[in-house]
Amino acid sequence: MASRKPVFNQQVLYDTTPLPDSIPAVKEVGATSAPLLSAAFFIGARCRPYNDDYMQCKTENPGKGEFECLKEGRRVTRCAATVYVTSLHPDIFIRPKIPNTSTECPSVFVYYADEPDNRSTDADTLAVPEVEWKLNQCVFDNLKLEKTIPNTPKDQIPVHLRTKQIYAHYPILRDRGQPSLGKSIDPPSAKAQAQTQAEAPAS
Amino acid sequence: MPQDMPPVGGYGPVQYKRNLPASGFRPGTWLLAMGVVVTYGFYKLGQGIKEQNELAREKMWSRIHLIPLLQAEEDRDLVRRHLADQAREKELLGENFKVYNSDRYVRPTYAVTPAHTTK
Repeated sequence: MASRKPVFNQQVLYDTTPLPDSIPAVKEVGATSAPLLSAAFFIGARCRPYNDDYMQCKTENPGKGEFECLKEGRRVTRCAATVYVTSLHPDIFIRPKIPNTSTECPSVFVYYADEPDNRSTDADTLAVPEVEWKLNQCVFDNLKLEKTIPNTPKDQIPVHLRTKQIYAHYPILRDRGQPSLGKSIDPPSAKAQAQTQAEAPAS
Repeated sequence: MPQDMPPVGGYGPVQYKRNLPASGFRPGTWLLAMGVVVTYGFYKLGQGIKEQNELAREKMWSRIHLIPLLQAEEDRDLVRRHLADQAREKELLGENFKVYNSDRYVRPTYAVTPAHTTK
């Protein structure tokens, strides 16, 4: 794709002309890297079909995808925005303040989103597994979106569920009074399933 | 004169060996111990590499999930700037010149930097 950088890239290239009315407007997500990375797997869980559509369109229109794939691009952005609007805290948005933002997982998410910047400049999403587990659980409870890493070997525990991670910045400690963690924690969906099975005979 | 002869019963043994106790384990034991340590080290290294692979997979997929979102935003911006540029050109020159012998979108090399911006 044409990815040449503008020559005058040391200057700020202002062009405030809006898109023509023939192209429907869409509100950009406008989040920075840390919250985006934190939400990446939930965006992937919900918006994978739209993402794939868009990338396929781009592949099928080499050199013209910018114009041909506007519709698919809007769908991608709207879908990603639904993940944000329902789950994220308004404070982390830099550009547009999205209205009607419910604060369902705010503190957890903000902590998680802050962590990468605090811990390393690499925006390493894996800095604090305990916080990530809380976020994953909260997002699953509220949005029914679960983080899964595609193509993980079947015989291995997915890395984000392991209780012992060699490259974790700090050892993963159980809370006071909590039973020992074992080799891995259950993903939120497995927990929910176990709960419904436990409740089913009683009713 | 008779020749000098060894003493009756022969000379005593000459002590040429070191008479020190061999310290430590046998060489074979050391070799085995080294083998154990190295094997353990390589096992741990393998564990670490496997985990790094999985972490890399996680990072890669987190970016893969974000690429369409970021690219869509970028594309919209490029289209907006392109259309604005075309309109500007049309206003100034009366028509749009086709500068490239291809239908591909080419990211502009030169851009207008307005003297006054209200921002």
